[in-house]
Amino acid sequence: MGMTLELSRLRKAYDQFDFGPVDLAVEDEVLAVLGPSGSGKTTLLSLIAGIATPNSGSIRLNGRNLVGLPLEERRVGMVFQEGALFPHMTARENIEYAATASDRADELATLLELEGVLDRKPPKLSGGERQRVALARTLATDPDVLLLDEPLSSLDAPIRKRLRDELHSLFKAIEIPVLYVTHDQRTATALGDRIAIVRDGFLEQEGSPSTVLTQPTNRFVARFTGNENLFEGTVTDRSGDGVIVQVGNIQFQTTAPDISASAVTVCIHPSRVEVEMPTLADGDRAANTVTGTVTRWLNEGSEYRVEIKVEAGALTLTANVRPPTFERLSLENNSGVQVLIPQEAIHLIPERQ
Amino acid sequence: MATGSHSNRSGTGTFGFDWLSVALVLGGVLLLYYVVPLVSLFLSVPAGEILARMNNPTVVDSATTSLLSASISTVIATLFGLPLAYWLARTDGAVTKVVLAVVVLPLVLPPTVGGIVLLTVFGPGSPLGEAAITAGFPLTRSLAGVVLAQTFVASPFVVVTAKAAFESVDQTLEYASRSLGKSRWTTARNVTLPLAGPGILAGITLAFARAIGEFGATMMLAYYPRTMPVQIWVAFIELGLDNAYPVAILLVLIAATALLILNTVATNPWE
Repeated sequence: MGMTLELSRLRKAYDQFDFGPVDLAVEDEVLAVLGPSGSGKTTLLSLIAGIATPNSGSIRLNGRNLVGLPLEERRVGMVFQEGALFPHMTARENIEYAATASDRADELATLLELEGVLDRKPPKLSGGERQRVALARTLATDPDVLLLDEPLSSLDAPIRKRLRDELHSLFKAIEIPVLYVTHDQRTATALGDRIAIVRDGFLEQEGSPSTVLTQPTNRFVARFTGNENLFEGTVTDRSGDGVIVQVGNIQFQTTAPDISASAVTVCIHPSRVEVEMPTLADGDRAANTVTGTVTRWLNEGSEYRVEIKVEAGALTLTANVRPPTFERLSLENNSGVQVLIPQEAIHLIPERQ
Repeated sequence: MATGSHSNRSGTGTFGFDWLSVALVLGGVLLLYYVVPLVSLFLSVPAGEILARMNNPTVVDSATTSLLSASISTVIATLFGLPLAYWLARTDGAVTKVVLAVVVLPLVLPPTVGGIVLLTVFGPGSPLGEAAITAGFPLTRSLAGVVLAQTFVASPFVVVTAKAAFESVDQTLEYASRSLGKSRWTTARNVTLPLAGPGILAGITLAFARAIGEFGATMMLAYYPRTMPVQIWVAFIELGLDNAYPVAILLVLIAATALLILNTVATNPWE
């Protein structure tokens, strides 16, 4: 049907916190709003839903300005953090309270696999069921926009993953703008068609998940999306296809196009750093190769986080190593390793900070 | 704490009691102080004699006046008190604090002073009182006077207790309801009031109990028609203590009923 939500110069001042001005446009897509707690994510949703009133700016839904309209006239659906189910009503009553048509409750109960728990009251529902009921209740109103405020944050890992998959398919099926607020980068990249990073009430970067992950525009975005390898560097050669950048006394060949600044932040995502046996020949791969020793490692479950002190320069690289590789190399502290950094894995931020 | 309990233990050995026993004895004495006089009241007069005197016109009249006036006062207190309670629960700031202080004022003001204050506005000497008398609806020495006195002292119970009840309803639930397209009124009816219901009922019960026992302000505003507390006073002064028993027992029973309501359907605010 083609809905567009447009925020323009939206600003809200609190005693201790200023939000905006923020400009943002969301089409029929999922925008994952990612940021630390206190960054203004919930304020953004409150402004759109009508719980908070902006000091200035506009919120337009298909051209209709929502600012000044009471909550109940906005047609903005909101799924609250803990579900906000009415505790004195059963799951069915919660959904039917909102439903615009009489058979809508059963339809949504089937869709969200809630048939078995419809007669229970919220205290008798599990965390995942509660969020599904909350979602069903919101969808029952056929909203023009769907807002979700960290609906998965209070759930245990297995249920969170399962519900995340369900949400992914559900979002594909509904054709309205969806704003999904989270502080979890994995949830944001998994669910978002686009990601918006917020900090201190401002939008830091907006783009596709892969763009935001691999090409952060500043150090904050880089760090918040799990990019731990941030080094001060200097561009030393601009003559080739990609510039050469020096970090300490190591030269890195990159595929980065010419960049006007000389003082840059060199950004290498740990997942792109490859660790190999020290004896392995370089071959003809277009990768920067350095040698180093393992100083620390942590088993994070699906991967190992390995810190490597690079011999040539006074810098420590962090690499994500998959368990098979970790075991094949029998890594431990003080293991000597060779580190391969593909040219295209090096991203330059034109600032040092 | 450690040294304290150590010396207690040696104390137990020597004197046969510790601080817990002391606390139990102190508390027990206080409980007896509450219960013994009540039991004594019921034992003072044979039950048959009490029942016979319940038919006495003065007893029946005062009971009728009290029940009627306390009911009207409670309805007025609820009607005017609930919106104020909701506003107080959902607003912060200096104004809220001042308004709350004004609401609590009748609770801390001695009832006789409350009566005097009311007389300056509604009494026969005041313009409003004068006009009301001319219109044939006197605001003193009338049921209206009783209601005015009772509402003044009892309505704060509705406001203060209902305020706490409204505050216990998470405001997110109201936002959720409204974001589902429901108006403020629909939200209040279906979400806020049902959830705050037991607390509100507690406030109404307390207000009724306070209204039916009101004496000081009522004496000042409306000696006639006699309410039960006034009737107890008159019976005691004119005919002696024995004659005050039947109405007193009625009032004890009403108070017990109020307690029963508080501990069953309502939320006891002091629990």
